Amino acid sequence: MKSVPGPQSSVSGGPTEGSVVDAQNVSRVFSMPAGPVTAVRDVTLHIRNGDHIAVRGPSGCGKSTLLHMLGCVEPQTSGTLLFDGQDVSQLSDARRSLLRLKQIGFVFQRFFLLPMLTARENVELPMSEAGVAKHARQKRAIELLEYVGLAARADHRPSQLSGGEMQRVAIARALANNPRLLLADEPTGELDEATGAQIAALLDRVNQSGTALVIVTHDAALADRAGRVLMMRDGQIESERVR
Amino acid sequence: MNAIGFAWRSMVRQPARAALGILGVAAVGALLFDMLLLSRGLIVSMQDLLDRGGWDVRVSMGELPGSGLRIPDAVETAEAISTLPSVQAALVMRSATAQIDRASGEPLRASFQGVTTRSSDPAGSRLRAPWTILRGRDAEAPDEVVIDEKIASESRLEPGSEITMRASCNADVEALPATRLKVVGVAEFPFQITNESTTGGTLDALRAACGGNAGTEADLILVTSTSDADSTAAAIRTLRPEVRAATNTEVVGRLQQTGFTYFRQISSVLTTVTVSFAVLLITVLLTVSVNQRLGEIAALRALGFSRMRVVKDVLSESALIVGIGGLLSLPLGLLLASGLDRILKGMPGIPVALHFFVFETQALAVHIGLLVATAIIAALYPMRIVSTLPIAATLRDEVIG
Repeated sequence: MKSVPGPQSSVSGGPTEGSVVDAQNVSRVFSMPAGPVTAVRDVTLHIRNGDHIAVRGPSGCGKSTLLHMLGCVEPQTSGTLLFDGQDVSQLSDARRSLLRLKQIGFVFQRFFLLPMLTARENVELPMSEAGVAKHARQKRAIELLEYVGLAARADHRPSQLSGGEMQRVAIARALANNPRLLLADEPTGELDEATGAQIAALLDRVNQSGTALVIVTHDAALADRAGRVLMMRDGQIESERVR
Repeated sequence: MNAIGFAWRSMVRQPARAALGILGVAAVGALLFDMLLLSRGLIVSMQDLLDRGGWDVRVSMGELPGSGLRIPDAVETAEAISTLPSVQAALVMRSATAQIDRASGEPLRASFQGVTTRSSDPAGSRLRAPWTILRGRDAEAPDEVVIDEKIASESRLEPGSEITMRASCNADVEALPATRLKVVGVAEFPFQITNESTTGGTLDALRAACGGNAGTEADLILVTSTSDADSTAAAIRTLRPEVRAATNTEVVGRLQQTGFTYFRQISSVLTTVTVSFAVLLITVLLTVSVNQRLGEIAALRALGFSRMRVVKDVLSESALIVGIGGLLSLPLGLLLASGLDRILKGMPGIPVALHFFVFETQALAVHIGLLVATAIIAALYPMRIVSTLPIAATLRDEVIG
C-alpha cells in the first residue's frame, strides 16, 4: 500500500501514539432571531493519531458544526477543546490559522479548488502559505498528485477535471502540509457512487498512513469503512459503534 | 504564491471585470492628473514667462503690471533705479497700438513695444529686450523693428523688408502719422495674446512712430538684480515710494489671489470628485469580486490562510487595478491636457506662451499619492468583509446555496 508522501520524502513513517483532539463537554449555541439554537450539546470526543471516525446523523443534527469545531474554525460556546494538548479557545486567530495550516487538513463537499490555478498550484497553496520553498513544494505537490493518481493532470485547471478528480486534488491539497488530522465534510456528497467509492478508498489509504480522519457523511457505505461511527441526534452523540 | 501573484490570478480569472476596472481607473486617473496639472499650471507657466529674459523685478504704477496706469518720467525713474547697488539694469517698456499698412486689404492691427535699457553696469547695457529673436537680429536704431511670426507669415515679411506703421501712443490721438520702419528680425514675444500681432523696437523708434506724442510715460520698468530680488524690490520702493515694485514671485502671488484662484478651486473640486469616483468604482468591483468568492475565501481560511493574508490578497488586487490603471492614466492625461490646453488658450486675452496644464514632478507625486490612497481606501470595505468572514457559517451557506 502506498503511504501519504511526507514533506521531505515520498514515504512517511507509521502513526505515532497520542491524542490529537480532546473535546470535553463542548457545546455550540447560535443566537438566532427566534432565540438561541443549540447545534452541538455537551459532546465529549477523543481523537487519537490514526483514528478513523465517521459522524452520521440526520440533517441539522450538528455534524458539520462539530466538524468545524474540531477543525478550529468554529469556537465552542462552552466546554474545552484541546488540540495536541493546547486549549484552542486560548489561541489568537493567527495562532489558530497556523494550527490549521500545519496540523489540520480540510476536504469539502464542494471541493473549493481555486479555478484560476492548476491542480498542482492548488496543492501548492497551503505549502506556499506555510513558507515551504518553491522547489520543495513543487516536488511535494507532484508527489501528492501521484499519490491521488492525478500526476498526469497536474497542469489542468479545475474546470478541466471531473468531480472525482477535483475531490482527489482537494485531498492532495489537504495533505500538503502533512496534517495530523484530516476532516472531510460530505466528501462524496457531490459524486456518483463509483467515484464516491474511489474517494472513500483514497481516504482509507490516507488514514492507513497514520493521519487521523474524521468524516461527516450521510453515506452509509462510506461510514462503514470507519473504525468508529458516531451517531448524532439533536446536537448530541447518541451512540458510538466501534468496529 | 505571494499576495500579488494571487491577486493577479484573481484578476485574470475575470478579465472583463479587471479590464473594466483598469480602464475606469485610467479614465478617472487621467482626469485627476489633468486637474493636478491645472491646479498649478497657470502659476508655473506664468512664473516661467516672467522669469524668461532674466528680469526679476517689475515696476509699475498699478497693483499688477498691465493695469493701464503709466509711470511718469519713466526713463528718469529707470536711471535712478539703475544706480541702486543691487540693480544690474532697468528696462523701460512702453506699448502703443499700431496699424501696419498692407499692399492689399485692411491694415494689420498690432501692438508696438518700445524699450530702452539703463544701467550703470556695462554688462547690464547689453541685456536684450524682453523678446526672443527667432530670425535676423534685434532692433537697435530708431528706424528698425522686429515683428512676430504672425505678421511675418500674414504679410509675407522677413528681415530686410520695410513696413509702413501708424502708431498711437494715446487713445485720443486719431490722426495717425505714417512711419517707414525696416524689419530686422522676427521675434517671439512672451506675453503676446493669441490672435494678436506684436512688433518691437527701441523706445526712440516707438516715439518716432507715435509722432512725438509718447510723452515721458511708460507702462513698465523691468529690473535685473545682481542679488536678492526681494531686497532690490524693497530698495526701489524706498527710492520711489510712488511706484509699485514687485518680484516675479510677488506678481504670481497677486495673480494667484485674483484670477488664478478660480482654476485652483475648480481643480480642487474636480480632483475630489474624480478621486471619489475612482474609490467607488474600485470598491464596487472588489466587493462584487469578493462576494462571489466567499466560499473559496472561507475554504482558504479553513486551510490555514491567516486573516492578514486574505486581507493582503484583496489589497493587492486593488493595488494592481489602480496601479495598472494609474500607469495608463499618465499618457492619457497628458494627451487630454494637451487638447484642453488648446481649448482654454482660445479664450480672449490669453498670452500664447501661457499654459493651463503644466507637467511638474510635484503633480506626478501627488497623483501617485492620491492613487495609492485610492487603492487603500477602495479596498477598506472588501478587506473588512474578508477579515470578518465567519468561516464555518460561510462554508455551511455555500453548501446550502
